[in-house]
Amino acid sequence: MKIATMFSDIWQSLWQRPVTQKYPFERKEAPDRLRGKLHWNPENCTGCALCNKDCPANAIEVITIDKKEKRFVMRYHLDRCTYCAQCVESCRFSCIELSDKEWELASTHKQPFTVYYGNEDDLNEFMAKFTQPESEPTPQ
Amino acid sequence: MTAVISPKKEKFIIPIGPQHPALKEPGHFEFAVDGEIVTEATVRLGYVHRGIEKGAEARNWTQNLYLVERICGICSHIHALTYALGVEVLAEVEVPPRAQAIRVLVAELERIHSHLLWFGVAAHEAGFDTLFMYSWRDRETIMDILEALTGNRVNYSANVLGGVKFDISDEQRKVILDGLDFLEKRTHHYLDVATSDGMFLQRTRGIGITRLQDAQRLGIVGPTARASGVMRDVRVDAPYAAYDMFPINIVVETAGDLEARFVVRLKELFESFRLVREILDNLPPGDLQAKRFPRRIKPGEVISRVEAPRGEVFYYIRSNGSDMPERVKVRTPTLCNMASVLSLAVGHHLADMPMLLVGIDPCFSCNDRGVSICSSQGEHGRWTWERLRQFGIDYYANKV
Ligand code: SF4
Ligand code: SF4
Repeated sequence: MKIATMFSDIWQSLWQRPVTQKYPFERKEAPDRLRGKLHWNPENCTGCALCNKDCPANAIEVITIDKKEKRFVMRYHLDRCTYCAQCVESCRFSCIELSDKEWELASTHKQPFTVYYGNEDDLNEFMAKFTQPESEPTPQ
Repeated sequence: MTAVISPKKEKFIIPIGPQHPALKEPGHFEFAVDGEIVTEATVRLGYVHRGIEKGAEARNWTQNLYLVERICGICSHIHALTYALGVEVLAEVEVPPRAQAIRVLVAELERIHSHLLWFGVAAHEAGFDTLFMYSWRDRETIMDILEALTGNRVNYSANVLGGVKFDISDEQRKVILDGLDFLEKRTHHYLDVATSDGMFLQRTRGIGITRLQDAQRLGIVGPTARASGVMRDVRVDAPYAAYDMFPINIVVETAGDLEARFVVRLKELFESFRLVREILDNLPPGDLQAKRFPRRIKPGEVISRVEAPRGEVFYYIRSNGSDMPERVKVRTPTLCNMASVLSLAVGHHLADMPMLLVGIDPCFSCNDRGVSICSSQGEHGRWTWERLRQFGIDYYANKV
């Protein structure tokens, strides 16, 4: 039976710097696979809304502007997203990807949590129809 | 003249919890004590019931994969894996062997993280905070590995129905192997500390002895049972995913006390290190996902069992042919092990209670789920929502 079995660890630590990192002054590189903010590319989107249906957090809305012309916009709720990447798997046309760079997404306002994606024309048309300003999401 | 002191009839009860009963999760314990010795123990659970099973009935098969992953924050992959394995049987989809091997790999990495986490928490409860801090410092290694491999530190979302999301690159393989080498060295050190430090042993050796018969009678599962000599491990008894390709050696101890539980869990770490290395060296070739997975699953029911870090996780899943499950029933290991805490408590010092509780590696929010009504009138079975609601209204009406 021994005593002070952790003493060697403590002794060694005396000569080392603390392992805690001084975030946000020191930043560790995020791994390539990190799942951050969603990005949507409307080019190949068929409007199948599978991403919409499979999202566990209801964070995606694919909104149809014109079905025949394949014009869609996406409303993405950053604050609901769980960053599970199921939408990336569900989309058969590789329209969705999650960024590994944008992960510091906290904000003191609500506004940045609702993100719109789409072509400029489609977005303008959508916004024109959309009377409520985006900063006031309708209560669920 | 003699004064007659009649023995006291009332019991002295010490309530512990619901806030912070040793662990940072809610649960309420009542210990009746005679001096320092516990004479009776009761537990009340259910403070973190989240309605996940009911929630699962309102989501489609894919969405539920991520819902069940949130049953437990520590063994999140295990829950998703159990669910996925069950649903894949229901849907009659064959999962490629490479995907199954990667699932097992993540499951074992998760076991390493879970056991190290428990080790730190247990050391903290024993008042050995140095050990707590150092073991958690080392646990960061495995958290970083999991983050690099899956993209997240907790709730890895490694599974999809029919396979996994990612492959393992050579670079990652090296990161994992380097990390494991470091952790293996540290685990040898921790095993030495846990079995030789005089002061620590005073809190663990000979405390909470569960004999083999008692462990079997109480239906204890996981490392807690294996510390009492019960040869039970779902990975061996009913190999799932890739455990038939990569078998594990079951780790058992016979002493049944808290020290044995430390030894079992730490030795299981070596088994996990070995298995992860073996999988990395012999990863079967092939796809990562099944070609197709149906959105609607034909009617049927299935039972899926998996060995989580704390013991057996049990899922019952029923489909009625739609794109949502009709019922998902989950039983987590903490519920099976809770009875052992209550039966062990009697006869022990009050100061040992946190250690006894920690000994089963409890996870309160995992086990707070099912409601089965057994009334004193002998009534047994399921209630409708309406009846449950009425019961609640009547209960509070009568109370005031
Ligand atoms: S990452 Fe997950 S939660 Fe976020 S939008 Fe995609 S499917 Fe939804
Ligand atoms: S799944 Fe892909 S193609 Fe279908 S709506 Fe979503 S982004 Fe468009």
